[in-house]
Amino acid sequence: MSAVTPVTATYLESLLAGQAQLAASPLAWLNTLRAAAVERVGVLTVPTLRDEDWRFTDISLLTKMSFHPLRTAINLQAADIERFHIAEAATRLVFVDGVFAPQLSNIDINSGVLVSNLAAGGAACAAHLGRHAEFHNNVFAALNTAFLHDGALIVVPRNISVATPIHLLFIATQKDVASYPRCLLLAESGSAVTLIEDYVALQEEAYFTNAVTEIVLADSARVNHVRVQREGAQGFHIANCAVSLARTSNYQSVSVALGARISRYNLNVQMAEGAECAVDGLALISERQLADTHTCIDHAQPHGVSRQLHKCIVGGSAHAVFNGKIMVRQGAQHTDSQQSSRTLLLTGRAQIDTKPQLEIFADDVKCTHGATVGQLDSEEVFYLQSRGLSDTAARNMLTYAFGAEIIDRIPITSLKQQLEQTVLEQTASQL
Amino acid sequence: MSAVLQNLVNQPYKHGFVTDIESDVAPKGLSEDTIRMISAKKNEPEWLLEFRLKAYQQWLKMTEPTWPNVKYPKIDFQAISYYAAPKQKPKLKSMDEVDPELLRTFEKLGVPMHERAVLAGVAVDVIFDSVSVATTYKHKLAEVGIIFGSFSEAVHEHPELVKKYLGTVVPVGDNYYAALNSAVFTDGSFCFIPKGVKCPMDLSTYFRINTQESGQFERTLIIAEEGASVSYLEGCTAPRFDTNQLHAAVVELIALDNADIKYSTVQNWYAGDENGIGGIFNFVTKRGLAKGVNSRISWTQVETGSAITWKYPSVVLQGENSVGEFYSVAVTNHHQQADTGTKMIHLGKNTRSTIVSKGISAGHSNNSYRGLVKIAPTAAGARNYSQCDSMLIGDQSGAHTFPYIQVRNNSAKVEHEASTSKIGEDQLFYFAQRGIDAEAAVSMIINGFCKDVFQQLPLEFAVEASNLLSFKLEGSIG
Repeated sequence: MSAVTPVTATYLESLLAGQAQLAASPLAWLNTLRAAAVERVGVLTVPTLRDEDWRFTDISLLTKMSFHPLRTAINLQAADIERFHIAEAATRLVFVDGVFAPQLSNIDINSGVLVSNLAAGGAACAAHLGRHAEFHNNVFAALNTAFLHDGALIVVPRNISVATPIHLLFIATQKDVASYPRCLLLAESGSAVTLIEDYVALQEEAYFTNAVTEIVLADSARVNHVRVQREGAQGFHIANCAVSLARTSNYQSVSVALGARISRYNLNVQMAEGAECAVDGLALISERQLADTHTCIDHAQPHGVSRQLHKCIVGGSAHAVFNGKIMVRQGAQHTDSQQSSRTLLLTGRAQIDTKPQLEIFADDVKCTHGATVGQLDSEEVFYLQSRGLSDTAARNMLTYAFGAEIIDRIPITSLKQQLEQTVLEQTASQL
Repeated sequence: MSAVLQNLVNQPYKHGFVTDIESDVAPKGLSEDTIRMISAKKNEPEWLLEFRLKAYQQWLKMTEPTWPNVKYPKIDFQAISYYAAPKQKPKLKSMDEVDPELLRTFEKLGVPMHERAVLAGVAVDVIFDSVSVATTYKHKLAEVGIIFGSFSEAVHEHPELVKKYLGTVVPVGDNYYAALNSAVFTDGSFCFIPKGVKCPMDLSTYFRINTQESGQFERTLIIAEEGASVSYLEGCTAPRFDTNQLHAAVVELIALDNADIKYSTVQNWYAGDENGIGGIFNFVTKRGLAKGVNSRISWTQVETGSAITWKYPSVVLQGENSVGEFYSVAVTNHHQQADTGTKMIHLGKNTRSTIVSKGISAGHSNNSYRGLVKIAPTAAGARNYSQCDSMLIGDQSGAHTFPYIQVRNNSAKVEHEASTSKIGEDQLFYFAQRGIDAEAAVSMIINGFCKDVFQQLPLEFAVEASNLLSFKLEGSIG
């Protein structure tokens, strides 16, 4: 990290300002965890372009603004958020500006899954919370941990398959508020669950979402993780997600980034023996948006399989960043890993910085990665025109198809349709 | 002793070059005085001294880079002696006196008899008059107007050319080691191909190898004027032993309109022993400027030596339709570390670049490809294709890929692919079935793996390079 400069130090202090008012939790371990995080915030600094991990993502805009923790909660009515409902999801937890809203939430008690607010968490919670999403060297994760109070806790018991997806809805309603969504999913051995993390906004002013998600898969567990980031146009979104896979477990994730002025998503996947993961992503941005995705898939043990396809559709003078690291540690033999980064630049001012990265310390492995950057193929456009489509319609269709490859991987029909519609509208407005 | 030396170096330069070996080594340490001393010793013009001092000032403000994926003990820059007059090595009288280990290496590599003598440091005129050969070549080159010689000669004979181009591709403050080199470089090669001349032969530092040691801070400057073309070979396949641990060279290439420069390197410096003790640190800045329209710069490298290799031969594609190429084979064994790759900076319209990189790591070594493809907003229609493949031999080695792709123009097309593989048991079994032993099989597989790069090397170099590879990896399988 770069040297402490007064600007960032006071900035972090201002962000921490409300932390002291946070009521001490009756749980001693939670208080200790928060205190440890506060201490790290004091030591760390806000990353700048001089930090390798933030080389292409300039967040100075964020540091120029002042955000405060939530002071007064807005009382939302069920009707206000109806349009965000996902039909298939029987269980829905709603957080308004980071605060749990039980009156808007719905917990399906028949699903066999334990869903509750983190604040009521028990021993399982203590053993995992803050243990996977490392905050020692990550100032944003540390800030989130310092403010840990509400959050989603999902425990899927042994050998239970949850039939319907669990929807976590995070709504931003007030300007200048910094919210700290937190989620912990524990999938016990042999269980299966689908989780939707959904970030939306009811206003267009600047605000800051700083989220941390921890997902723990026990032996042979299966987790489908769908993440939709559709924050407001002036919002800032920084999220850290840590996934820990045990033997032969399976993690499938699709993350879609559509909103926010500046967004950053760090995904760390820790692989155990025979574990499998598919980590896919789509960033569809325009105007002056910046969307950054950093992923790290760490094959620490043998026989792991990982697949990754990350796509960016960049319009306006937007800037997309992708850094995908695949680590194969010594002894992680027979690892099979494929990674692909594909980018479509729609305009002359659109920018992309992509870096698919392989670090391999084992010899009997199969690892490939690829990256392409380009615009729509003129021959493909011509082909569609020869079938009677206008130039715009042809381009629209091709752009849509490019993005749809990722959206198709979402296992929830209504969400898929919703997103496909969004992509279609956005590509249409671009061209 | 040091006081005597101090007096000696502070004296105005009176004598010719090699007098007494001891007294011609500068005291350790780097300061403005050392630089003035080097410049005075070489009888350099004022502008070159200024160039050096400017570089030194910049260097003072810089810090050592820590981003490469290599580990080494901190270098004490004040413990290095920055100037040693070219030494006269004691000449050996015949091949019988040459170290048998060296002869064994020559045998393996298939180095021609007369070259072995030159390389081993046998007084060449006894066996083979390579000096006269070199002179004949020089005459032939002079006829078509090509200037090829040592950097120091060029400074005196063609100061206007050196002054015009020196530091234009790699500015003095480019990076830590380039700044250091600019401040203290002692010698190197200079090559100038005038307008419209196609160089009639491959130019090589080969012929200069023992008559003059270029030292640890080497400087190379190659200029191809409009329509000129040249193929330049650096280094040789024979192992090169050197007492200097730190090497920080700078190579600058300039190609004007329709010019074509092909630069091939085979590097096999001392890599340290099996336990990673000793070996050379090779921190090199190589960059070409494809300045003119339709110009082309091509780098080919076979990196097998050095304890640490840290170099990124780059091309700045400024002219319209200019072409940049990078073909590399990097082999690491035992405890060697290599962090190498290229930078292709596309500035001009319709510029094209190709990157083919093959990394082989064995033993406890680490091999990284680090590349940058940058498409500037002005580079409409730019095109890049990169391919980097790694091969791991043994489970203690590491292979890494760090490709940076930065695109600022949507009419550009950039493709990158990378793969990692090993020599499979099934492949070796197939060879064994056909009566080919494991060693020969590995050699063949590796040659196949590196074929795309070897094809770019001049013929006799290619043969030696492929032998060199199997020699380097000897005993690492089975």
